[in-house]
Amino acid sequence: MRILVLEDDRLIGDGIKTGLGQLGFSVDWFKDGAEGMAALVAADYDAAILDLGLPNVDGMDVLACWRRQGRDVPVLILTARGTLDDRIRGLDAGADDYLAKPFALTEVAARLRALIRRRHGHSESNLQHGAVTLDVAARSLTLDGKPVELTARELALAELFLNAGTRVLSREQIEEKLYAWGEAVGSNTIEVYVHHLRRKLGRDFITTVRGFGYRLGDPA
Amino acid sequence: MRPASLRVCLSLLITVVLVVAWVLASAVSYRDTRSRVSELFDRQQTLLAQQLLDTDIQNLVSRPAKDRQRGPLRLRRRGADRNDDDAPDDAMGFAIFDAQGTRLFSDGRSGGDYAFDPARQGFMTQPLGGRHHAWRLYYAANADRSLFVVVGQEIGYRRSTVLGIVRSQFLPWAIALPVLLALVWWGIGRMLAPLDRVAGDLRQRAPDDARPIPPRGLPSEVRPLIDALNALFARVAETLTRERRFIADAAHELRSPLAALRVQAEVAQIARDPTVRSQALDNLNEGVDRASRLVDQLLSLSRLGPMQMPADAKPIDWRALAESARDEMAPMAASRDIGLSLQVAALPPATRGDAMLLGLMLRNLLDNALRYTPAGGHVELVLDAEGIRVVDDGPGVPEAYMSRIRERFFRPPGQNETGSGLGLSIVERIATLHGMRLQLDNRAPHGLVAAVVRPSAADRA
Repeated sequence: MRILVLEDDRLIGDGIKTGLGQLGFSVDWFKDGAEGMAALVAADYDAAILDLGLPNVDGMDVLACWRRQGRDVPVLILTARGTLDDRIRGLDAGADDYLAKPFALTEVAARLRALIRRRHGHSESNLQHGAVTLDVAARSLTLDGKPVELTARELALAELFLNAGTRVLSREQIEEKLYAWGEAVGSNTIEVYVHHLRRKLGRDFITTVRGFGYRLGDPA
Repeated sequence: MRPASLRVCLSLLITVVLVVAWVLASAVSYRDTRSRVSELFDRQQTLLAQQLLDTDIQNLVSRPAKDRQRGPLRLRRRGADRNDDDAPDDAMGFAIFDAQGTRLFSDGRSGGDYAFDPARQGFMTQPLGGRHHAWRLYYAANADRSLFVVVGQEIGYRRSTVLGIVRSQFLPWAIALPVLLALVWWGIGRMLAPLDRVAGDLRQRAPDDARPIPPRGLPSEVRPLIDALNALFARVAETLTRERRFIADAAHELRSPLAALRVQAEVAQIARDPTVRSQALDNLNEGVDRASRLVDQLLSLSRLGPMQMPADAKPIDWRALAESARDEMAPMAASRDIGLSLQVAALPPATRGDAMLLGLMLRNLLDNALRYTPAGGHVELVLDAEGIRVVDDGPGVPEAYMSRIRERFFRPPGQNETGSGLGLSIVERIATLHGMRLQLDNRAPHGLVAAVVRPSAADRA
């Protein structure tokens, strides 16, 4: 899942990027509000983390701008301004959730998962398809109740397909979701990961749609 | 010592003054009354003696011989039968003698004791035979000295008459005094009652309540106290507001470093890759340094806040101070590859002050300059006749932020440096304590001059 982070503090931004990366997200981190605003247009993010105390631009303005443009990406606000008024103002301005500094990274991750889940119309934290069950929070996947060893990328790809349902995902879309800015993507990397997933979860888990990309296979 | 009660003191004072005044007045009145009373009684005695001498005494004397044998005539007074010494009388008596000293006629209980003494004329006071009390006696004779009269009155009676008069004057006083005291007691209580109200208000007052005490109803003597209290409330409230804002700001500003610490700590916890973990731990250390620096700066500023320059401030050796500041900051300059130099063009005006604080001020100025000057740049500490200057060739401060740069916690956006936003506040506060002011100017083509100078020099500039 690809996350946009707008945070001017070097240590916090770096921590979120690295930490969420460890937790299975791919994170693009921008220090500058203007860059962040542009970035949201450039890529398809599953959620955004927004620090209100940004230099140059007020985080609240960034949020208002996105919403004016009709972008419905879930936004989690992080800020040192933790008063009730601030929270209400933030939520009313179109934020989906609010965390005051200092916050726990694991909580940020959990809230992001919840935001994304809701965006995809799920209410359960487990994604299920046929014999495959993915525990999003625990980052574990089972096949017929037996745990399957997956790398972080493979897990992220499985999660992407499970979230997409019957939607067909192009290779570009998948790359965009799996990789942050500046991460090198090999020319056939996605094919390799799809291959791995099919080997571990069964041939029919992912169906190839010729000329378009891939989609989740029909349950057996 | 117990604190004096206004009410008790005033009441005591009034009592003492009244009693003393009353005793003096009574003494004067006693003397005056005594002389008047004795004058009056003397006149009475003289008149009686005259009346007696004018009486047709021969008629009385030529009464039947048998009566005479029973001795001289005595007048009996009513009530004398009862032999009642307390019976009211004027305690006056008289005796009439003929030229030979024969007592022709006498009166009262005392008349019989008067002695015949033809040589005497007028008043005299003497004890009377057999009696202890002194008597006032008036001796008189008719023109042909055939009759002699003595009119006497007991001095004690006169004294008791005088005392009676004086006592009757005393009675209204004796009644008035307690009434007066009660009125004074009540009046003072009434006047002081508003003070009780004020005390009650003050007891219930919230510590941050800065509303002035309404002076209405209070005696004018208490007004200066109330005014002073109200001024104090205003000052305390101002301090409290400042402190509260400072604490709120500080708490707010501490959130970011804390968030950084927490996030980096969590990254170190969850990271499986050793390089990611060691990077997170490095970041954690950096975060701790940053938080410590912020806390140090906050403490400096909060200590400086209420500080007054002590009267025993010592003369400042600017040169030594500048050299030690330069030496302390040299490692930071070296690690950032920035040249740091000290130039003493002239010595700043003689200043008395706190060398430790001024050292802190210089270090903050140099720290700022070093922090925001890119590698390869140069920072110079200059002493001249107007004060001290720190000149750098960094980016300077964008004009848009020049007005806000001194605000606490304000940091111009777009910095990678992790400053606390408090350095200039500390510099400015220390400068103010020493009667100097901080002046910030951008240089052409780029750079910043931070000068701490005497106000006069700053105004000329």
